Amino acid sequence: MNFLSINEFVQGATQSYLDPGSGSMILQLILGAVLGLGVVVRLFWKNIKNFFTRGKAKFEEDLDPTAVMETVTENASEESLQQKQ
Amino acid sequence: MFKHEGKLYRQVNQKFSKEYDLLMGSGLYEQLSKSKTLVAHKEVDLQLAPIPEIAYRVIEPEVVDFISYPYEWCFNQLQDAAVLTLAIARRALEFGMSLKDASAYNIQFQNGRPVFIDTLSFEKYEEGMPWVAYKQFCQHFLAPLALMAKKDIRLAQMMRLHIDGIPLDLASALLPASTKLNFGLATHIHIHAQSQKRYADKEVSQEQVKARMSKTAMVGLLDSLLSTVRGLYVKTIQTEWTDYYQDNNYTKESFEAKRQLVKSYIEKTNPKRVWDLGGNTGEFSRAASDLGIPTVCFDIDPGAVQQNYDLVKKNKEKFMLPLRMDLTNPSPDLGWHNAERESMQARGPVDLVMALALIHHLAISNNVPLVDVADYFADLGEYLIIEFVPKSDSQVKRLLASRLDIFPDYTLEGFRQAFEHHYLLIDETPIDACERTVFLMKRK
Repeated sequence: MNFLSINEFVQGATQSYLDPGSGSMILQLILGAVLGLGVVVRLFWKNIKNFFTRGKAKFEEDLDPTAVMETVTENASEESLQQKQ
Repeated sequence: MFKHEGKLYRQVNQKFSKEYDLLMGSGLYEQLSKSKTLVAHKEVDLQLAPIPEIAYRVIEPEVVDFISYPYEWCFNQLQDAAVLTLAIARRALEFGMSLKDASAYNIQFQNGRPVFIDTLSFEKYEEGMPWVAYKQFCQHFLAPLALMAKKDIRLAQMMRLHIDGIPLDLASALLPASTKLNFGLATHIHIHAQSQKRYADKEVSQEQVKARMSKTAMVGLLDSLLSTVRGLYVKTIQTEWTDYYQDNNYTKESFEAKRQLVKSYIEKTNPKRVWDLGGNTGEFSRAASDLGIPTVCFDIDPGAVQQNYDLVKKNKEKFMLPLRMDLTNPSPDLGWHNAERESMQARGPVDLVMALALIHHLAISNNVPLVDVADYFADLGEYLIIEFVPKSDSQVKRLLASRLDIFPDYTLEGFRQAFEHHYLLIDETPIDACERTVFLMKRK
């Protein structure tokens, strides 16, 4: 039984077997700068808000896998309830 | 990866000792395996290694009940797999690691939820380097999701053709122009496709890109991909199938009687694995999965599969896996040497196959001779619970409404004779109030 991709046969040490694509790399450099700026701005405003509401400062982005999956689950139940109507 | 005495193992080579140690030592493995988002493993005797000269560790990962592929998933399953991949990539950064690849085949479904199975996909994060798997993520996840959501749900099947992900120029050409107004899709698909084309012949060395993408930029990229993926949405479509249970010959009583009957047949056969063919939203598959038996519910309609999956998540079910499958053209062996992805059949056989309210779709709509149906089902599993739907049934009448009746042998007796070629007919029970009969059979 062989259900594994040929891609499992990894080659170089630090170099990934994947061809990342020159175009993809370059796009990331441009995009990354723009999007990174967005992250900084958002964090800045979050800190300002937290400072004023004196709430517990949450510096971490909510990308905890379990939390994300819980949200996805909640959305799913909302969606399916909506459709039944 | 290799098998030894029926168990599945993976050899970790010396080359990846640093990455492996970092994964285990940094705390990332512990956090991910605890939250059941990464498949857990245990380290076993190094002596088992098939290539001992370069072996560093041998690990035994937890087994997945049933291997499935992205082209068999409904939209929500693929979306959850995408979200999980990004969440893991994001979390890995906090531990100084990044994902080497973002293939949709790194995700499997276990206990009703997606789980990342490629333990060796983690490498040390070098701040400054762009994400090497960005293109792969866009091709494996974002492109098919966008096509399914913005163009046609049936484009999921393109993943069967393009097992390395849908080429971005193709996705860009197929997507409606309105997607260019969506920031995420415009950048990660359309502009991305243009960028690939423009730099296709040009080499970009590591030195050129190194130290050009900060961690914040990386976070921004992952965030952007996440919100783009989450912004896509497929409404559960009203097809001929989603109202199936309202619109047929069953009264409430006969429906319940059928459910009890199926349950008793399941308990009689005591299967370890069950496949429900044409199971729609899993109404009867649950007779098995509710008993804690790992059950795969196949259906041709992506809307029904999605409804089923939504239920699995809502009720936190652990033993149900809904998948999209066309039984007249099921998943074949794919990839290099036709050996990278297994056909549906090769992932069986199972102990029990259920085929309720299905036979008329195969025999009449698709002209498959009853003997051939029996032959195929016998290859899929040992026991069979099957419902014969006669011509007097309103559903069959509808199928025959606009065509010539060329099915002289499609009768209860004809059905019995056809199936007796391959099966022992153990029991049969007519369902009162409608004229259907449910059989329990065992293959010869």
